[in-house]
Amino acid sequence: MRIKGSQDLAAGLMFGIIGLLAIKIGADYPVGSWQRPGTGVLPLILAWCLVGIGAILTLKGLVSAGPSLLEGQWAWRPVIMVTLAGIAFALLVDDGGLVAAMAVSMAICALGTPETRWREFAYFTVIMCVTAVLMFIKGLGMPIKVFPWN
Amino acid sequence: MELTDLFSNLALGFSVAATPANMFWCLMGALVGTAIGVLPGVGPVATMALLLPTTYYLPPEGALIMLAGIYYGAQYGGSTTAILINLPGESSSVVTVLDGYQMAKQGRAGAALAIAAIGSFFAGCVATVAIAVAAPPLTKVAQKFAPADYCSLMVLGLVFAIVLARGSVVKALGMVFLGMLLGLVGTDVNTGNLRYTFGISDLFDGIGFVPLVMGLFGMAEIMANMTNAERRDLVTSKVTGLMPTWADLKASAMPVLRGTILGGFLGILPGGGAVLASFSSYTVEKKLAKDPSRFGKGAIEGVAGPESANNAAAQTSFIPMLTLGIPSNAVMAMMIGGMMIHGIVPGPQVMTDRPGLFWGMIASMWLGNLMLIVLNLPMIGLWVRMLMVPYRLMSVAILFFCCIGVYSLNNSANEVLFIAVFGLLGYLFFKLDCEPAPLLLGFILGPLLEVYMRRAMLLSRGDAMVFIERPLSASFLALAAVLLVIVLLPNIRKAREVAFVE
Amino acid sequence: MRRRKLLTAGGALAAAAIVRNGTALAQAQNWPDKPVKLIVPYAPGGASDLMARPWAEKLSQAYGQQFVIENRGGAGGMIGTEAAAKSPPDGYTLFFAPGGTLTVLPLMRKAPYDPIKSFTPIARVGDLVCGFVIHPSAGPKTFKDMIAFAKANPGKLAYGSAGLGTSSQLRVEMLKHRAKIDILHVPYRGSADALTDLLANNVQTMNEINPLPHVKAGKLILLNINHSTRHPDFPDVPTLTELGYPESDVPIWYSMQAPAGTPKGIVEKLNAKMVEIAATDDMKAKMRAINIEVPLQTPEQIAQHLVADIKATGDLIRDANIKLE
Repeated sequence: MRIKGSQDLAAGLMFGIIGLLAIKIGADYPVGSWQRPGTGVLPLILAWCLVGIGAILTLKGLVSAGPSLLEGQWAWRPVIMVTLAGIAFALLVDDGGLVAAMAVSMAICALGTPETRWREFAYFTVIMCVTAVLMFIKGLGMPIKVFPWN
Repeated sequence: MELTDLFSNLALGFSVAATPANMFWCLMGALVGTAIGVLPGVGPVATMALLLPTTYYLPPEGALIMLAGIYYGAQYGGSTTAILINLPGESSSVVTVLDGYQMAKQGRAGAALAIAAIGSFFAGCVATVAIAVAAPPLTKVAQKFAPADYCSLMVLGLVFAIVLARGSVVKALGMVFLGMLLGLVGTDVNTGNLRYTFGISDLFDGIGFVPLVMGLFGMAEIMANMTNAERRDLVTSKVTGLMPTWADLKASAMPVLRGTILGGFLGILPGGGAVLASFSSYTVEKKLAKDPSRFGKGAIEGVAGPESANNAAAQTSFIPMLTLGIPSNAVMAMMIGGMMIHGIVPGPQVMTDRPGLFWGMIASMWLGNLMLIVLNLPMIGLWVRMLMVPYRLMSVAILFFCCIGVYSLNNSANEVLFIAVFGLLGYLFFKLDCEPAPLLLGFILGPLLEVYMRRAMLLSRGDAMVFIERPLSASFLALAAVLLVIVLLPNIRKAREVAFVE
Repeated sequence: MRRRKLLTAGGALAAAAIVRNGTALAQAQNWPDKPVKLIVPYAPGGASDLMARPWAEKLSQAYGQQFVIENRGGAGGMIGTEAAAKSPPDGYTLFFAPGGTLTVLPLMRKAPYDPIKSFTPIARVGDLVCGFVIHPSAGPKTFKDMIAFAKANPGKLAYGSAGLGTSSQLRVEMLKHRAKIDILHVPYRGSADALTDLLANNVQTMNEINPLPHVKAGKLILLNINHSTRHPDFPDVPTLTELGYPESDVPIWYSMQAPAGTPKGIVEKLNAKMVEIAATDDMKAKMRAINIEVPLQTPEQIAQHLVADIKATGDLIRDANIKLE
């Protein structure tokens, strides 16, 4: 059978899988009594609703025509680089200080697009670092190191 | 209150607020607020927290006037990022994104920014007058709300979430449920149980709004735009007229007025009423519009109404803080901290013991709003020109501000890791054409709904009739039901037509 | 962390021990020669933060070095406490410890620190003064009336708390347990929300600090004081001991702690300075304004108090059957 709307199908699967996971994880949560509805009541209701929505969308994707999942390009390069950039900032900011965290994360982010001009990027990073140190550390007094050795 | 009292009180207020020193602090607050509001990710709560120690060295009036200025300054600034780069800085500007960013794409960023500023100014003025005239009676109104009423109000709010949807109602519904589920992550207030925390202690207090939004909107937007020049260049290609046209102003007048009334009222409710302000205003405008299909495609009413509503709510949310000493949100908790630092115990006696402080703050709000509009209207040109910064640089800057903004909340690097996760999720939503706005509304309202529902059941000793017996609660539920039918009917009809055609 | 382990391992060797003590002594003499970080495990603007600010200011003035407050909120205080416990014990990271993070939290959750072994106490920095507050429309106007009313109408009164396992719950549960009465517990996320419902008479009582301004304004009635002595602002309100419930106080107490292994010289130096500051009229007035008393204690007294409080809290949690469901 040909899939008619792969985007709807994928969305349906996404909701359905999240719902099923939530049901599985939430299975141990106590449901309590009528006067004291427990921890598990609303999560279970919501999870089943998600499964229901997932089922409807999956069916819709199989039966009726809709946009394809492959429409437009998937931007793998920026997706990976932007994610890594966020992770790099998180790992560096406490021990490495603000400047290191900024330089590394911004460079990784810039790798995400072929449009980056590195000389321009270098100037921009220096300006951003100086501004950020002045604004966040000197101005607002955020408790972050400027350099690793501070 | 006697009218003469009001005038003498206001005179006292202006005599405090209009001293050169306090005008200066008000301006500083408004400037800092606008600046951090414009920066994606860095919000008023973190900024006020960081600046709180500094206010120790100011007189109490100056300190509170400046802190208040940061708050409403950030409200003005926040709509700028929402409109220009599709990134809502806080819950109140989530709705502004819907039509504001679409207007920007059509080259009408200037008009959107201007109408947001004008609407906010009008709402700010009206709400300030409301605080001055009717703060104590309004407090009494808010106290009429019991947990059951709040619960039904949240149900109504969730129905609004479906009205927000631009595309598929089924997907919007799914996103609302998903948002509610995300909102339940963390410690269950009623039982102390942990839900969906996977043993990560940073999740014990739940997922933060800021990391979620910075991921879903900020990071995902960069991912989508970096290689897709077509998508992003729409914004910069054709900037026409910086100011709204006469027709724009005429179309916005009523939405601004309605938004102000709605927001002003919801703002006084101490239990999360203010977050509903912009959402409900959007719903009202979309339902009243002759052609609702324009909404989500750059309808100016969809910017004017919600922006006025959230500014009015921002102002009136001062009421419980001023009259009772009860903070209705994190920002008001900061204001209370600002008072306590100076040895002023917030509570009902502030009004009588420190009338200069009380009325001075109210007067400063009006002055601050005036300063903001004077500052902001000429700046629109500058903001719009900022869009000319090449995206290869803009994207890196947005990434950095998202990271530092999230870090600044709790000085927690782990929360920065969350935005990376939410960024991936946001990109998936984007590719699956699932709108994040309904998810955010579910995320905000879901946990509130649960808490109020369980509290109402506890207090009624297990009698569910309380939701129908209380008139306020019953009317909210009835309204929600009617709205739901209106929203769903065309969809059901359409689905049946489709079925018949096939 | 690794260096500390290494040094402890080498501690068997006398030479290593001498080197360590020698540097420790020098550290204490020069301390502080750079800014000191003061971790507060809650968000800014809360009671802990407010109490910490005057202390940070006074200490900065006294030593000529900035004492910088770092708010590390989250997980009911667990995240900040963990961060403090894992900081280097060099005297440049201190922990502003609300009693509950050391007593209640480790009893109710698996905490990634040990309240006694992970820290070394420095000074007692303040006790919050509070009491039972009741809404006037609820009926009872005195403490004895309330007990009688609750006995006659079990479960009719409801009380709001700042959340499960907070001291505002423990104080009421303690009384319920001792007086054998039934009052419905309604948990809130923080005491501000609970106060809102108390003012609207949705719940009738509360045992917290934040309704006190409303008592002064005549909107609520204060039934007792949870403290060993009466409060100067409410001279007519009896203490629990006077009312026939001795040792029923669950005080909210705060202390300054340092990561375990912080040089003794620094601890003693700091304790002496903080006792001195607490005795000044200016500090007393500042603390009094936010309903805080500062008992003067030595590090040893605090350590004893902590052990005793952990035991008492544990007994109460077990006897009154308080648990996370």
